[in-house]
Amino acid sequence: MAGGDGDRHRGPKRHKSSAPSKAALVDESAEFDYADDFDEDALDADKEVKKRDFTKLELKPDHASRPLWACADGRIFLETFSPLYKQAYDFLIAIAEPVCRPESMHEYNLTPHSLYAAVSVGLETTTIISVLSKLSKTKLPREIIDFIHGSTANYGKVKLVLKKNRYFVESPFPEVLSTLLRDEVISRARISPEDSLSAPSFTISKTSGQTSGHEDLLNGMELAAATEDKETHSFEIDPSQVENVKQRCLPNALNYPMLEEYDFRNDTVNPDLDMELKPQARPRPYQEKSLSKMFGNGRARSGIIVLPCGAGKSLVGVSAACRIKKSCLCLATNAVSVDQWAFQFKLWSTIKDDHISRFTSDNKEKFRGMAGVVVTTYNMVAFGGKRSEDSEKIIEEIRNREWGLLLMDEVHVVPAHMFRKVISITKSHCKLGLTATLVREDERITDLNFLIGPKLYEANWLDLVKGGFIANVQCAEVWCPMTKEFFAEYLKKENSKKKQVLYVMNPNKFRACEFLIRFHEQQRGDKIIVFADNLFALTAYAMKLRKPMIYGATSHAERTRILYQFKNSPEVNTIFLSKVGDNSIDIPEANVIIQISSHAGSRRQEAQRLGRILRAKGKHQDRMAGGKEEYNAFFYSLVSTDTQEMYYSTKRQQFLIDQGYSFKVITSLPPLEEGPNLSFYTLDEQLELLGKVLNAGDDMIGVEHLEEDSDGKALLRARRSAGSMSAFSGAGGRVYMEYNTGKGKGAPKKPKDPSKRHHLFKKRYQ
Amino acid sequence: MVNAIKGLFISCDIPMAQFIVNLNASMPASERFIVHMLDPTHMFVQPHVAEMIRSKIGEFRDQNSYEKPQ
Repeated sequence: MAGGDGDRHRGPKRHKSSAPSKAALVDESAEFDYADDFDEDALDADKEVKKRDFTKLELKPDHASRPLWACADGRIFLETFSPLYKQAYDFLIAIAEPVCRPESMHEYNLTPHSLYAAVSVGLETTTIISVLSKLSKTKLPREIIDFIHGSTANYGKVKLVLKKNRYFVESPFPEVLSTLLRDEVISRARISPEDSLSAPSFTISKTSGQTSGHEDLLNGMELAAATEDKETHSFEIDPSQVENVKQRCLPNALNYPMLEEYDFRNDTVNPDLDMELKPQARPRPYQEKSLSKMFGNGRARSGIIVLPCGAGKSLVGVSAACRIKKSCLCLATNAVSVDQWAFQFKLWSTIKDDHISRFTSDNKEKFRGMAGVVVTTYNMVAFGGKRSEDSEKIIEEIRNREWGLLLMDEVHVVPAHMFRKVISITKSHCKLGLTATLVREDERITDLNFLIGPKLYEANWLDLVKGGFIANVQCAEVWCPMTKEFFAEYLKKENSKKKQVLYVMNPNKFRACEFLIRFHEQQRGDKIIVFADNLFALTAYAMKLRKPMIYGATSHAERTRILYQFKNSPEVNTIFLSKVGDNSIDIPEANVIIQISSHAGSRRQEAQRLGRILRAKGKHQDRMAGGKEEYNAFFYSLVSTDTQEMYYSTKRQQFLIDQGYSFKVITSLPPLEEGPNLSFYTLDEQLELLGKVLNAGDDMIGVEHLEEDSDGKALLRARRSAGSMSAFSGAGGRVYMEYNTGKGKGAPKKPKDPSKRHHLFKKRYQ
Repeated sequence: MVNAIKGLFISCDIPMAQFIVNLNASMPASERFIVHMLDPTHMFVQPHVAEMIRSKIGEFRDQNSYEKPQ
């Protein structure tokens, strides 16, 4: 991107006063004196953009005071030092996807999806174009105007409505519905009314109060049409096909994206839930803003809100639930975060204790009353196997209920098929997805557009740092040279499978890690998390340094105990986590992360891990610019140089770099004078370690493979084996001995892979 | 009697020296080029291999560095 070239256009100071707001730009009078800062550098800035020649773009005479460049290919560059930055940013974030947001220059991209999101939060085509052209330094290229028109013309014509647990596609235009029905997928999904013989006609209902509010969303022309034609046409579709229908309607197919809105104030069918935000819960400005995007015209829209970890996503979720005041189903990724969500609901809202219930494999609370909040995991809802009687009842309840709000935490981690299942099981009026990182290595992220809805809001990380809302993190990449012996083994062909464990166990890395832990524990009194994806390394490091660790197989009770100690005991200042700690484990105390091994080049994982320490600490004024502490959190990534890790490490950083973070490279750790104070100083010790690494079996050195769900199915399966036939019959005797030992070995530790089971048994167990 | 061989003196860091050693070991016996390992960071090699070593190291380093796709 054309970073940095913006500085030259820092307009003459006097412009600042003449253009403090958008309004000032409306009258494009020629009172600006632009002779001193003319086209010349602007033109050669354009040339810097490789292969893309925008020299033809016509520069407006007062370009210096306008904040952004709009290029014909849909890319937009925003100068963050412009006095209009705030307004321009709010506007751009609504209409375009942020690509890269370093300190002084942001890059955005206009896409059909982002424009869909813009229209669904209530912006009109004409507004988008006029505001964009006001903010742009150049005349808007024809292509962009056409593109905006083309992508927004059909929005808002079709609505998806949930009425009494049945889905309807509604539109004031019967011809639009006919177009939709000509599509094969949609016509198959349609449920024809049983009583009517005339299949092609639509159900027509007079537009009453229910849809009147909707009209202000439509633009002028459509509004006229809508008032003439007061009827709403609709047809019912099969709930299981909703997703497919939505997908067909997206811009890349039929281009009639569906509007999903929930008029919760006028919903008299579903009982109200008595909950309010407590007065001490004061949403921060950006939280307010994200909520206002969601509840734009007094209705609730489905969509995704992107906030960095630690910026208070839960408060946004709870506030949304408090505003809708209907039954709410909250989905989290694991049992620990279920507890945390339940806690957050009680903390921020006035909800009564018996209106909130948790539903996990070891905590099945029945819900009482007509409306309530249920917190559960994705796995519990999507679980396909046989359930216990209790949970079957609860699931039935979940299935039959019409939910006002479906609140989904960490939407980016959940596999698409599980989402589909969850969404097909639960019927909700409005879906809100929360996430910190809307990136995935597989390009599945766009699926979320039709599974949940458009992105409603995305916060800028650096702005939140400046505001003191999240911690100011110093990111560092520590380069650890490989030792001679380890590198020699690393290069050998026969060790290709052990490469990872070799570079993770590099003694120099270990020493750097040990040094950092000691430094932060003793000098600064920090709380440290060490991440290692590689189980062998995790155990080796944790044992050697005598620190507690948590990984996939650690039980819920043990996890809770370790986390409790970490939070409260001055003795326990460091914990080792495998990738189970990436998401959702809430450890507000930690402010240092040391990453010793990671999952290849996953950008999301990097960002999630950073998120563990983003929760702001210390006094607010110290965190502001110019406060006492410039940095109050530290993120170290230890990398063995000259290995594949360098490649992955750079790739992983991309997301954070796009958010404006910069990584400092440290090459001199540990300092030489530490010498024998740290482990593995002598060659003998290093060789012993090398021997251990080389002798470790292939199964031990791999990356930890988490059971798809560490709390749902796995636990149930383990329980099943405990109640085995022989145990029930008391037949521990000789007769069954052989049978018993064979079974006993595998069952409790490693539940059988269901896909390998004989098909006759599959039904029984799955 | 003094034997004089014309050769190339290489000075590098420890991992790269190991890389060259490994490269040397992977060659058939007749093509091995290291004349003498002086210490972990210095070695004496046949004069004609300079280009080859350079390109192999370049290749190796490329594999380990990531460039953002445009």
